[in-house]
Amino acid sequence: MGGSFVARRLGQAAITIVAIILINFVLFRLMPGSPERVILRGTPNVTPERIEALRERWGLNDPVFPDQLVAYITSTLTGDLGYSFIARGQTVVDVLAQRIWPTILLFGLGEMVAIALGLALGAYSGWRRGGPIDYLGNSVSLILYSTPYFLLGMGFLLVFASSIKWLPTFGMLTAGRVYGSPFEFLADLGAHLVLPLATVSLGLVGQYAIVMRSSIIETLSEDYVNTARAMGLSEGRILRHHALPNALLPTVTLIAINLGYVIAGAITVEVVFNWPGLGTLTVQALTARDYPVLQGVFLLLSVAVVLANLVADLVYGVLDPRVRT
Amino acid sequence: MTATPGPVAGATRGRRSSGAGDFVRRFSRRREGMVGLAILTFFAILAAIPEVLVGPLQTAVTSIGPRLSPPIDGFPLGTDELGRDIVNLTVHGARISMTIGLLATVVTVAIGVLVGIVSGFVGGRIDAVLMRITDFFLVIPTFVLALILTPIIRDVVGSATTEVFGIRMTLIVIVVVIGITSWSSTARIIRSQTLSIKERAFVDRARVVGAGPGYIMRVHILPNVINLIVANAVLVFAGAVLTETTLSFVGLGDPFQPSWGQLLEAARSVGAPGLGAWWYFVPPGLGIILVVFAFTLFGSALDDLLNPRRGGRR
Amino acid sequence: MTAVRDRELPRQAVPGAPLLEVTDLRTYFSLDGATVRAVDGVSFRLEQGEALGIAGESGCGKTTTALSLVRLLPPNARIEEGSVRLYGIDLVEKSPNALRRYRWREISIVFQGAMNALNPVNTVGDQIAEPIIERLGLDRKAALQRAGELLELVGIPRKRADAFPHELSGGMRQRAMIAMALACDPAIVIGDEPTTALDVMVQAQILELLERLRRDLGLSLILITHDLSVIAETCDRVMVMYAGRVAEEGPVGEVFARPKHPYTQKLLAAFPNIHADRRTLEVIPGSPPDLRDPPPGCRFAPRCQFAMDVCRTDVPPEVTFGDGVRVACHLYPQGSDGVPITTPPDANGTPP
Repeated sequence: MGGSFVARRLGQAAITIVAIILINFVLFRLMPGSPERVILRGTPNVTPERIEALRERWGLNDPVFPDQLVAYITSTLTGDLGYSFIARGQTVVDVLAQRIWPTILLFGLGEMVAIALGLALGAYSGWRRGGPIDYLGNSVSLILYSTPYFLLGMGFLLVFASSIKWLPTFGMLTAGRVYGSPFEFLADLGAHLVLPLATVSLGLVGQYAIVMRSSIIETLSEDYVNTARAMGLSEGRILRHHALPNALLPTVTLIAINLGYVIAGAITVEVVFNWPGLGTLTVQALTARDYPVLQGVFLLLSVAVVLANLVADLVYGVLDPRVRT
Repeated sequence: MTATPGPVAGATRGRRSSGAGDFVRRFSRRREGMVGLAILTFFAILAAIPEVLVGPLQTAVTSIGPRLSPPIDGFPLGTDELGRDIVNLTVHGARISMTIGLLATVVTVAIGVLVGIVSGFVGGRIDAVLMRITDFFLVIPTFVLALILTPIIRDVVGSATTEVFGIRMTLIVIVVVIGITSWSSTARIIRSQTLSIKERAFVDRARVVGAGPGYIMRVHILPNVINLIVANAVLVFAGAVLTETTLSFVGLGDPFQPSWGQLLEAARSVGAPGLGAWWYFVPPGLGIILVVFAFTLFGSALDDLLNPRRGGRR
Repeated sequence: MTAVRDRELPRQAVPGAPLLEVTDLRTYFSLDGATVRAVDGVSFRLEQGEALGIAGESGCGKTTTALSLVRLLPPNARIEEGSVRLYGIDLVEKSPNALRRYRWREISIVFQGAMNALNPVNTVGDQIAEPIIERLGLDRKAALQRAGELLELVGIPRKRADAFPHELSGGMRQRAMIAMALACDPAIVIGDEPTTALDVMVQAQILELLERLRRDLGLSLILITHDLSVIAETCDRVMVMYAGRVAEEGPVGEVFARPKHPYTQKLLAAFPNIHADRRTLEVIPGSPPDLRDPPPGCRFAPRCQFAMDVCRTDVPPEVTFGDGVRVACHLYPQGSDGVPITTPPDANGTPP
């Protein structure tokens, strides 16, 4: 891979992140009420001195452009995102740090399960196009694709909370429980994880299957697959060595691009199962109009998606010799 | 093979516009497309005449049923926690969800088409800047942006009780927010089509006889991308309905005009799934799934027929 | 590698049988409920070391004929009738799995447009080595060694084996494709428009390479092209196809000097100078028939200036003459000496 390609891509990602901060700044200024009220709303015992100090630090006494903008970008880049209202004056960064791990656990695992299942199902459907698995898989994929994630979750809740009470449906750990060993802790966590994880995986699997199916169908009609057939290679080898490596390439990019949409689902699934991650935090913040937290979530998730896309592009560059040069 | 561009372009245009009858015949042969259309027709009827079908929208004041009751006589799909008839709520929800979806689609496609045509036709620096912005909106999680924008814009607009197309201002804010956060893929598609039309002979001819860029964009480019716009709009609609549902579900809906998403949020907050009260959320849930599914089927069938990049493929 | 086959013939080979004998091959496509008779009764023979050119307008069935030999057909196509005998073994009878053993090992194909025919994510060396490993059972090291030799044979430096297809020029890619086709030392190489996508200079080089390989390796070649000049330069015999049938077939010298079939005459007339100008075949008025519902008699009759009544009702039989030329045309009745009848025998179209 050429250094210039990497440098160009890094530059683009940096510009995008700056643009995200810019949007946050505009939103910050749009908000009703004075900015310092928004920032300090959750903090108890606000004295005039405190407000003045904050106005000074955030440069709110200076003109909006360029001073306040520069001050805003600087404070964002140094990790100062203000104070949370719902968390009673904790810094936004602290609040995000507590809530990010449950989300990473749930969605990291969910993505992995969904990618593995979705790509396998899509590849098989496309390979056996028109067959019973394709027909069934394609219909199921389309219906899953049309279903909001939280509806799937509510369906699971209906079955598991009201009828079959096998699995916990609330939170990440049993409240107030004292664990005798790390194993007990993991078992409890695992039991709580099953339903949200199943929801996330099912919600995602449809779109990955659809993407992979069309990719493999397109690849199977390529001339080089015909060449492989002419060579007398077995269908299995043609699929594994010629169709799959080429069909996987576009899915790398598509998975990264879809990440932005996945996040919408993430938020709602957490709400359904009261999973203590960024999703429930977002809805709590939304209900309380806790703008600093909302802005922090937007910044964090946007940067995550931008970085994921960056990684995907770099991985693509490694996988596809045509980009490498 | 070398082909003279003029006659070929003309011939292509001739074939494209060869009658609506031909299009209907080709579309009717696509089973999935027809299934999608049938489902949509059903919901369009619900949305068009809810009062005729189930009477006026029930409220906490006008409700007469028992609270959170399973299906009983007079309430075939049970009631909610305020004693309102779920059939009534679901049918009225169809109107609200689909109206918001439609309006949001109009805004989304309008922005996307404007950006796409201008970007593709004018080119140069304007194109570069517009495409940078488009790419930005393609990458960032626009749903989270919509999530912040909605309450902020509502606060800015204030609690005006004006209604537009019978939709309250709170929901119009959602329409606008969906529009400004989801136009980017439309802009991309329209831009690339504009680029290829720009190269055709008739655009050059128009330029030679002194037509201005605005005129050419309106008279020559727009009619030639209209097929694509229609196909794209159907797919945008599916996305808009889903986005509205999700925004309502996280608490940004309007309880006075409950969309399907708002009903689902209400069902969740009273704990309907845990209580086994399936009748509360299954009807609106099925409504969403069926509408989005139908729009996706209908939209991809249209896309296959109308999108020149896939044209004629079976 | 030598002119003589240095490995065993397939077990079921019939001693003394010709290398390839195709008899009454019919390959039909199903399209929207209709049957397209793309290849409709084609017979020909290929001897060891011979080069046969198949010519005709696009859609005449020349590529379908060649791909039918190893059944490399789209899913909506099937071989309805006929036999394809390689060393006397009928490949049409073979199950898909059994047929696979004949692909590439006995009959390989050089496709047109090697950019798409080569896998973009594998190096050319790996792609040449793949059939050697998979089909001949050599280990990877030996296969890569042989891939290097093959590359040198077609005029590509051995070290370019590490290159990806997009890193090679069009001509180099076509050479690599040819090296790939030679990988298993096949009995027959089919060239499907192997020079079409290339510019004129490179075309000449590729043709030169094919000629050299024929000379050095004793290659048996089937060359499909719409470009008659390519056949004139490279082939021993030519088979002209029209609308799924053979119009005329024979030694290149005879057919090109004294074309018998009116279609061959038109085809050659459309090439004023074989070596310089390769202008269109569209000079012939009219267009080929719809193969879903072809005319009952001679398929060229609607476009033929000599057409008689019999041409519109009866399929012309194939007649072979002393000079080795086979023609399917009512102008040359069975038992004649290859001189056309100049006036229609009578109004009812009964042959004399």
